[in-house]
Amino acid sequence: MKGIKSLVGNDHTKTIPVIQDANFKKLKQTLLKEIKRSAYVYRVDCGGCNGCEIEIFAATTPVFDTERFGIKIVASPRHADILLFTGAVTRAMRMPALRAYEAAPDPKIVVSYGACGCDGGIFHDLYCVWGGTDKIVPVDVYIPGCPPTPAATIYGFAMALGLLDQKLKARSHNEAENEKATLKHTGIPLALKTIIEREARLLSGYRQGGILADEFMAVLAKSTQETVDANLKRFLSEKNDPRISEIIEILHHKALAFMRG
Amino acid sequence: MFKLFKTIIKVGTKTTIKYPFEPLDVCDDFRGKPEHDPEQCIACGACTQACPANALIMETDIENNLRRWEISFARCIYCGRCEEVCPTNAITLSQEFELAVTNKADLYEEANFTLAHCVECAEAYAPTKAVSYVHDLLVQSGLDRDDPYLSQLLNTCPSCCRRANMLDSRTLVHGQYFHDALANDSLACDVSADKVFQQERSNQGE
Repeated sequence: MKGIKSLVGNDHTKTIPVIQDANFKKLKQTLLKEIKRSAYVYRVDCGGCNGCEIEIFAATTPVFDTERFGIKIVASPRHADILLFTGAVTRAMRMPALRAYEAAPDPKIVVSYGACGCDGGIFHDLYCVWGGTDKIVPVDVYIPGCPPTPAATIYGFAMALGLLDQKLKARSHNEAENEKATLKHTGIPLALKTIIEREARLLSGYRQGGILADEFMAVLAKSTQETVDANLKRFLSEKNDPRISEIIEILHHKALAFMRG
Repeated sequence: MFKLFKTIIKVGTKTTIKYPFEPLDVCDDFRGKPEHDPEQCIACGACTQACPANALIMETDIENNLRRWEISFARCIYCGRCEEVCPTNAITLSQEFELAVTNKADLYEEANFTLAHCVECAEAYAPTKAVSYVHDLLVQSGLDRDDPYLSQLLNTCPSCCRRANMLDSRTLVHGQYFHDALANDSLACDVSADKVFQQERSNQGE
């Protein structure tokens, strides 16, 4: 800061995760290898919106049933093998979260759950938010999602226990020479494209409208004046949805009106 | 007790989804991992503006002539706003939901794009792919591919264009609607009146 002398520094706002002993890491490996019993999960809510909690409970219901794998939610961190941190770690919940971490017996597996737990989510730049579980404790598995679906939760648990492998890989792309974005539906005049997209988005919402307009224009682009009606009919019967039929019909009327001028 | 057995028989034993042992059926509108196609991306930055969680970022590095695009699946809330705004359909939300990782670095995806330089002042002003995409769009909307105005207009930065327009109003390229209006003569008189007014003003200034 220019002209302002820093009095206390900013060390008090810096986050330093709990340092993990090397022996515990070894112990964790043996725990994963020789675990011959259920894995107990303790859920720590560090200031989340409870969306993640609802999905965790959905994962324990008979439909997804994590207890098939012996994964069970327990009421005390002293019983836990896996600690599940949800929420963006608010200032008020930092100490309770650390106490839960210390209370759990070693070796423990820490899972960071949800977009907030992984990186702060939409709350990442709030004033009272630490922004992620890994800012306070060392994390073993990250389960992203807002909230993660029960299936994603099961996948994350299976990964934490070493049953399944990681699928996602970091990717980096560098622009190749003469790389070009292709223009879609070049057969349709630009003004008509605009009319179709605008109308579709007005009728069926932004994301769905975009998809519908794209599909409609794909049908238009590949058919001639004689075949367009038959092609549209086939497309609609494939979809078999009265809502889509109505929207496509309106779009078709608009397109015809444009073509007539 | 009898009632319970009756219920069990009625419901059967197929209530639980066999997920990790069998692939899970996800519905068509499921919003999973945003799939980015870097070849189709024009680095316009619309998605970074739309992203409510700032999971998408874009930064320009003039020295290395690079524009870097990055997505963090950790921070992403899978809302689909990026898909809505993408002009080239480069980013779409897939059905992929198995995103858990042990190494946080695997939650990031990036793409690097080059920048186009102005023919007059040689400063970087836009990503190369965005410029070529605009060129294709203008050609599709009816402009001549070999028009020298078109290539000159596209390959100069906005400030140089503005300077050129100030010196010579004929270099202005209007949109298709303006030309239509001119043809209909509705705007022509307005424009000519405006020109006369401007000339008078410049004469007064002198």
